[in-house]
Amino acid sequence: MLSETASHFSASCPSRPASLPHRTQRMTKLRRTTSLQHTQQRMAVLFILPALAIYGLFVLYPLLLSLWGSFFTWKGLRMQEFAGLANFSRLFVFPSGARLYGALWHNVAWFFGIILLQNGLGLLFAWLLFLRGRGAAFFQSVFFFPAVLSPVIVGALWRLLLAPGGIVEWALNGLGLHQGSLTVLGNSHTALGTLIAVDAWNWMGLPVLIYTAGLRQISPQVFEAAKLDGAGNARMLFSVALPLLMPALGTLTTLSFINTFNQFDIVYVMQGVQGNPSYATDTLVTYFYRLAFGAEGAVGITDIGLALALGTMLFLVLSIGTLLMLRFFDKRTVEL
Amino acid sequence: MTTLAIPQKLARLPGWIVLLVWTAAVLLPLYVLVVSCFKTTAEIYDNRLGLPRSWALDNFVRAWTRADLGHNFINSLIVTGGAVALTIVVSAMAAYPLSRYRLGWNGIMLGLFLSGIMLPIRLASVELFTLMRGLGLLDSLTGLILVYSAIRIPFAVFIFASFMRVLPSELDEAARMDGAGETRILFQIVLPMVKPAVSIVAIFTAIAVWNDFFFPLIFIFDDRYKTVPLAISVFVGQFRTDWGLVFASLAISMAPILIMYCLLARQIREGVGAGGGMK
Repeated sequence: MLSETASHFSASCPSRPASLPHRTQRMTKLRRTTSLQHTQQRMAVLFILPALAIYGLFVLYPLLLSLWGSFFTWKGLRMQEFAGLANFSRLFVFPSGARLYGALWHNVAWFFGIILLQNGLGLLFAWLLFLRGRGAAFFQSVFFFPAVLSPVIVGALWRLLLAPGGIVEWALNGLGLHQGSLTVLGNSHTALGTLIAVDAWNWMGLPVLIYTAGLRQISPQVFEAAKLDGAGNARMLFSVALPLLMPALGTLTTLSFINTFNQFDIVYVMQGVQGNPSYATDTLVTYFYRLAFGAEGAVGITDIGLALALGTMLFLVLSIGTLLMLRFFDKRTVEL
Repeated sequence: MTTLAIPQKLARLPGWIVLLVWTAAVLLPLYVLVVSCFKTTAEIYDNRLGLPRSWALDNFVRAWTRADLGHNFINSLIVTGGAVALTIVVSAMAAYPLSRYRLGWNGIMLGLFLSGIMLPIRLASVELFTLMRGLGLLDSLTGLILVYSAIRIPFAVFIFASFMRVLPSELDEAARMDGAGETRILFQIVLPMVKPAVSIVAIFTAIAVWNDFFFPLIFIFDDRYKTVPLAISVFVGQFRTDWGLVFASLAISMAPILIMYCLLARQIREGVGAGGGMK
């Protein structure tokens, strides 16, 4: 990014004074440039300050303080004394260990579920729309609509639809696919999978839009050449289009990773902050919320030290994971 | 490509079916939501998929008044409007010198802003809570506006900077020759030239802020300041058996987004396709 900015300026600035015809004009222009640069430095500071102040105060400062605070003991919301890695070692043992590993496993399962269900199906839909061309805008708009809704609304809607006695139960019973009361959200074997499916329903439009945009950037000649060589549609998708879609695949995988490990809203609305039934849908952020704002163990008891340690750990997982993924997909990007 | 042979048309049939199945999967739940708003709870049980017996607005009236959703609606409008306006103004101001001046520190400063696009800010919520309490910004719509702006500034600066960078440099130079001040150049010359950037930032900031649930949950305790998503999360538990009321409140809360979506579907599709504009 540094080089990008620099190259832009070197490309646009130095050529200008030379194009002026008279020498005197060039001199005044030069003098004006230095005074202009002084004004610009001053104006730049003034212009950047409001954004930097808001962003620094409400994002950077609390984030840095949280990372720092995870190495201290806490009494309520008050920082006590330096504790080294004590919070972190507490995080991994009884009684926190079971919660942590449970939530971590749910997040990992959620991530792979979304990759398969949302990004996989999304690729299929995008490919079908790309082959047809006609009506693509309509289908894209319909598929994307749930993504502009609040996860709270999506969660609340599906909670009503999936409730015992709700319409999904009625429909499944009517079709003979299921008998009796539908309890997918109350059953610890099916609850997590159901939430992942709701999340995929919510965000399906995102991969569809990003893949179709990516497919349209591929030169039509590539597909024509493959067709002449006798490649079928499936072959064309997996051997020709997919390698060229690496940037789109990278964006989607990274976004899914970040969103999955920040998952909170759908769990909270559909299953409560404990991740019911019996923590079967607990995630790292719902666990973090309970530690930080008091619903873990006795109601109202918080453990800020543990919460901050969990936050720092999650921060590291997210940053390192994101960087690794971006590098992974960058290396596999094919240029034509 | 005018007339396809029959076998070719047949070969395309399974694909169309797949697309239509997902269309139904998206539209059916929304259809159920809309018709259920007009039904009593008993009717929701009797008549699952049909149109309501009468288009009674009873559920909407009860959601708006008894559950006081009207109040939450106004709060959400204030917070969304405030955050969008503040984000656009301060981000455009910051992006202008960063993309068009030769400062020597453009790259570092832009990098500092852009790193915020990826930062998991929810994990800082404990310290943020302490800060907000110290500033007297708990239970305050101003507090929410500031936090949302702070979170959305990185994305907005990124969008504004990339649009402003490609404007011809003659533009501001000519204005400067004419003696226009930097503030005037930004707001009267540069900003009108990057209207697409303004609409991208406005749309995606509005969606993100209108829909957010996490920060009101942490910072708002007083019913008077609750936003729509927070109120909905309470209704779902509180009016558990009153399905008509909950459906109606869901419909009311998605109405502004639906209207905006119908008007701006193309811009939204293009904005997302261009680079995953959403968070």
